[in-house]
Amino acid sequence: MMLEHVLVLSAYLFSIGIYGLITSRNMVRALMCLELILNAVNINFVTFSDFFDSRQLKGNIFSIFVIAIAAAEAAIGPAIVSSIYRNRKSTRINQSNLLNK
Amino acid sequence: MDLPGPIHDFLLVFLGSVLILGGIGVVLFTNPIYSAFSLGLVLVCISLFYILLNSYFVAAAQLLIYVGAINVLIIFAVMFMNGSEYYKDFNLWTVGDGVTLLVCTSILVLLMSTITDTSWYGIIWTTRSNQIIEQDLISNSQQIGIHLSTDFFLPFEFISIILLAALIGAIAVARQ
Repeated sequence: MMLEHVLVLSAYLFSIGIYGLITSRNMVRALMCLELILNAVNINFVTFSDFFDSRQLKGNIFSIFVIAIAAAEAAIGPAIVSSIYRNRKSTRINQSNLLNK
Repeated sequence: MDLPGPIHDFLLVFLGSVLILGGIGVVLFTNPIYSAFSLGLVLVCISLFYILLNSYFVAAAQLLIYVGAINVLIIFAVMFMNGSEYYKDFNLWTVGDGVTLLVCTSILVLLMSTITDTSWYGIIWTTRSNQIIEQDLISNSQQIGIHLSTDFFLPFEFISIILLAALIGAIAVARQ
């Protein structure tokens, strides 16, 4: 059946996004892995809305909201990263000690 | 989408394999520009997945917003940073990476076992029986528009306020 395959695929995208978010040392790559996690959530919403709620389609509304929040996050994230890069000349996560001193 | 069976299965397997390889590529490419383009490939494949799942409006929104705006913004952010520091530690395998790999693999195995153990057919039959009464003839996009202007009107307006505040904040932070 197609539903379980799509759910397994979305679980795969979620776990690899978590892995990349934890282990990446570059802030921009961490943002990319955050997009992967949000896309896994969106795939789940759209799949359940198509299989269980094909008359009302409320899952599609929620996925549109998630896309809008992801757009806001993708506007804020590179702005913060570029600000940190301008001050510290580095975008590595394990070297950011801006709260120091 | 109403495709014949073999074409549908072939598209499903093809898009799934591209998603798996692209997801690995986002994490494991050493050059961030390659992983940004790999992320774009993954997003396009997810948009095609939505078309297979009969959700055309979300597919168009995914293609426009994710690939057209977010991915371009991420590529711009990668190109804005200095590229020389990315190659310093590309094969640095620490203990934390191994522990994280173990934890993420266990999360994936747990989720997969939960998905395969759940009986989806029973849930589908109980929900399908309720929906036979309301067979109306409006399309998916019209249904989404009706929901956005009636049930979800207040969250829709809040989303617009959040986007406005986020864009003003991003400009204020990124400005010199």
